[in-house]
Amino acid sequence: MGISDVIPVPVSIDEEIEKWTIFGQPVVEAWFTTTEKIHQIIEMGPIKNIFNWGRKNSVYFLMQPMGCCGVEMFVFGAAPYDSDRFGCIPRNTPRQTDVMIISGYLTRKYLPVFKNLWEQMPEPKWCIAIGECAISGGPFYDSYNIIQNTADYFPIDVFIPGCPPRPEQFLEGLMNLQEKIKQRKDKRDY
Amino acid sequence: MDGIIDSITQFQAQEPAIFALIIGIVGAAIISAVVNVGAMLVIWGERKVLSDFCNRYGPNRVGGRWGILQLGADAIKLFTKEDIIPGDADKGVYVWAPIVASMATMLVAAAIPFGALHIGGKDIPLVVANMDISALYVEAALSIMAIAVFMAGYSSNNKYSILGAFRGMARMIAYEVPMGVCIISVAIMAHSLNLVEIVQSQTIWYAFAQPLGFVIFVIALITDLGRIPFDQSEAEEEIISGYNTEYSGIRWGLLYFQEYNNALLGSILLAILFLGGWQGPIIPIPILDIVSPLIWLLMKVVIILWCMIWVRSSLFRLRIDQVTDLGWKWMLPLSILNLGWAVLIGSYFA
Amino acid sequence: MINASEVLSSIQSAFPGAVLDSRVESDRRLWATIDSKKILDVCKHLSTKLDFDHYSGAAGVDWIARNEMEVVEIMASHGAHQVVAMLKVKTPRENPSVKSLTGLYWNANWYEREIWEMFGINFEGHPGQYPLLLPDELVGAWPWRKDFKGYPDLTTGERAVQITTPEGYTELHVPPTPAEVEAGTVVKERPKYPSFREREEKEIKSDAEMIMHLGPQHAMVPGPFLLDILVEGERVKKAFLDLGYIHKGIEKIMENRSWLQGITYTDRMCYVASLSNNECYCGAVEKILGLEVPLRAQYIRVIMEELSRIQSHLIGTGEFLTLVAGVGYAPWQYMIMDREKIISLIESVTGARLTHTFVRFGGVRNDLPEGFVEQCRKVLPFMKSRTEEFIELFAQDPIYSLRMENIGSIAPETAKRMGCSGRVLRAAGVAYDMRKEDPILVYPDLDFKVVTGTRGDSADRIDVTLREILESIHIIEQCLDKIPSGPIKTEAKIPKKVPAGEAYYRVEDPRGEMGMYVISDGGDKPYRVKVRGPFYATFQTLTPLLEGVYIADAVAIAGSMDGCPSEADR
Repeated sequence: MGISDVIPVPVSIDEEIEKWTIFGQPVVEAWFTTTEKIHQIIEMGPIKNIFNWGRKNSVYFLMQPMGCCGVEMFVFGAAPYDSDRFGCIPRNTPRQTDVMIISGYLTRKYLPVFKNLWEQMPEPKWCIAIGECAISGGPFYDSYNIIQNTADYFPIDVFIPGCPPRPEQFLEGLMNLQEKIKQRKDKRDY
Repeated sequence: MDGIIDSITQFQAQEPAIFALIIGIVGAAIISAVVNVGAMLVIWGERKVLSDFCNRYGPNRVGGRWGILQLGADAIKLFTKEDIIPGDADKGVYVWAPIVASMATMLVAAAIPFGALHIGGKDIPLVVANMDISALYVEAALSIMAIAVFMAGYSSNNKYSILGAFRGMARMIAYEVPMGVCIISVAIMAHSLNLVEIVQSQTIWYAFAQPLGFVIFVIALITDLGRIPFDQSEAEEEIISGYNTEYSGIRWGLLYFQEYNNALLGSILLAILFLGGWQGPIIPIPILDIVSPLIWLLMKVVIILWCMIWVRSSLFRLRIDQVTDLGWKWMLPLSILNLGWAVLIGSYFA
Repeated sequence: MINASEVLSSIQSAFPGAVLDSRVESDRRLWATIDSKKILDVCKHLSTKLDFDHYSGAAGVDWIARNEMEVVEIMASHGAHQVVAMLKVKTPRENPSVKSLTGLYWNANWYEREIWEMFGINFEGHPGQYPLLLPDELVGAWPWRKDFKGYPDLTTGERAVQITTPEGYTELHVPPTPAEVEAGTVVKERPKYPSFREREEKEIKSDAEMIMHLGPQHAMVPGPFLLDILVEGERVKKAFLDLGYIHKGIEKIMENRSWLQGITYTDRMCYVASLSNNECYCGAVEKILGLEVPLRAQYIRVIMEELSRIQSHLIGTGEFLTLVAGVGYAPWQYMIMDREKIISLIESVTGARLTHTFVRFGGVRNDLPEGFVEQCRKVLPFMKSRTEEFIELFAQDPIYSLRMENIGSIAPETAKRMGCSGRVLRAAGVAYDMRKEDPILVYPDLDFKVVTGTRGDSADRIDVTLREILESIHIIEQCLDKIPSGPIKTEAKIPKKVPAGEAYYRVEDPRGEMGMYVISDGGDKPYRVKVRGPFYATFQTLTPLLEGVYIADAVAIAGSMDGCPSEADR
């Protein structure tokens, strides 16, 4: 229905609440209709623009070095390639992050853990794949333990090629993601 | 000007209850706005000043060269995040923890004087509830944050959160007592527990009259606020963000925000108790002379906050057992020593 | 000091008939094939009578043409002498089985577990033969055997399947590849062993204890690994380690690439200090080819490797400091900024920031550019003054000493027995540095000290790291003074097919002793490359070291080992 796209509503509704009535009408219906109306107002451009402006300027990423590109990720968050200029700071827990950076090789053993982390992140969330290994397996294209096709498991928004890419390319990828967020006008379909 | 003040004092004398109610409501609205905006500036200031210490720029793209709207963008993003409540979490306590944290801050803000206006030769303090025991009340209200931290950690059903919650409790309990004893020592010298009268009685600043108390209070304050070197309850690298591991979206935003709110109010408290509050020479420029006490208090608060950020960027984090050791074995006896000192020389400050 | 031939004659006189085949390569290398029934006695003789107290590693080799498998034990000594003995034990390919050396050498544990899970060689007497690097679904497929059919895996699409285990955990499993199914080599019966979770939960003794995961997603060291700690309150009762979250199978991949392409894979093993890895591989192949590296190229290699060591130490120390001081800690950012200067120096020569692939067989890829020497001479004194500032900063900080002194102390005897190397061993007081023990290139002509510590705790490790930076600066300055002009690559033509042979080459990686054992069978691809990574050995010491400490200290100790799980997992 698209309600939870913008307005935070509780994910599960108690059975108790479903029995409440107000003036003879079930409260739940009234609630949904109201949120529908608010949602329709927000669908109009300006308010969505403000939301996307806020989202693109404060992108928190998960501190998770996985491979060689992980070292460049550390450098990217610190001086001199400071990502804090863009409002982008690293957080430790996936609950407080917006973007998952796949910075390196994804192995078979790590895949379930990674999926867990991805699902713990709240919407809206994005994914950046850094380096050849995250895009297509890279130099390990025929390894028995590396997942070569990460895009089949996670919906990747920005691919940053390189082995490893320079931190300036990380910043460019971040700016591309910001551009993408800015133009995102409707819900991503996955 | 004098006519307005006369009519207000007349109204206060005739109907004290309604006057207090009106002041309360209007003051609460103004104070919560001011304090929240102030906390946003504190967070922005921390990001910028910390970046300066670390030889980099902080936010400088959002809202101009100084990145002043960065906090606005953060707030908008957090408001529009999906709301996740963990399945096995204690839902009531989980939802109420950030609200209790905000309540704690607002309770403190009600009794702290935010400066004064120098009208007609007298300093009129800007405070919502001018209580006779406001020093003790503020200290008690500051410690409600500990309950909020424990609620957050306990209800998350997460191993990291519970460790953060226990550490937060241990830290706060260990440092409330020295802090309270230091406040009592100041009150003994000032012959009053009212924060306004404490400021007015500081002929020499209590930081010089009770240097030991000043040092202990500063350390206890930094611990109470949960800043490095005492932030074990959310030690990021060890326990993955501690008590707010499972919080996301605006709930986490509220918890994070109240930390800095507390920092702002704690610094104001420190300035009032030990650094002379809003005392200072009156600036002779026409409009500025009315708000000059406000400016002095603001300067002192800014310097205190800057020093706290300085400490954050240059000291290591202590281990939780070292923190409690320091609190019970060193801070408490020294603060009692300071109390004795205050009693001794307090009689000279009649 | 005894040399290799004396060792050989001592073994032959003590155990006549045990040595089936032998080769004395030089004063410091001994290759011998030992009868598999006498290997335990020979090793006991070596460790007790001949001072071979350093078990360096073990490699498994699958000789499919001869229908046998080999386990090569690498023995060395902690300073009593410089001989490295490579003892081979043969076993038939059907039901291969070899005696385990865990009774004699404590750190043989992980090497034998790895050989078991990769080749299927059973080690008799091993205390716990569980998989280490592989995910559970690949155990039993013996990936490093030459007839492993599940490789290469070029399928696309989402192959992982979500299943729910009987205990209620959801797991992702990757079913067998089409190649495996077609070849009919799908493993039907996997070996039975208690899973990692079961082994952990067996240790929980009471309700007050719980298992906390520090990883695989963590900020401790750059690279995922699982450190589970069993805590009661704030005290760690026991620690469990699980590797393999970044296991790429480089050793198997290198068997499918040409000799020159293999250099790029050595970069990606320990990516923070990739020049040492390059050097190790190229040195081993040069030994097989018998190439002589020209003098200028040797000096260039030493300069580059020492620069790489400096920047690796900087990021290792800096990252560890964020663990004990939070992300806003200013000296960590200063270290990263200084590291940028060194990296731009390296980048001006090799062209890359992280994965260089600069060393070639018989020389280096290109010469030092113009102006490099002047730029170096400007940067190095600045680095020196900064490092001295850091050493002084940490020496006078009281909270630093509260947090780091007497935390994770390792006594010298324990460190030697556990097989650590590098700064962990040197901080414990043992002066063991590959640049002095097994000197390569121009290190014999250079004057430098081996930096040691006294207590072996975290503070000492950081201190040793920073003082090693000063030593490296001293080495580079000497090289810049002495570097001659000349060719940078050998004039001999490097053949596409390397003649049959084997070599073991050791280098001082910033993390410790790195060794590469390269076997060639005369083809244009390596037959077997075994990497003896330094952090693999140091990692093993983590589990006993973490018993009885606080959680905060556990993180500090794990971080102060300055690890690179990528090189442990390869």
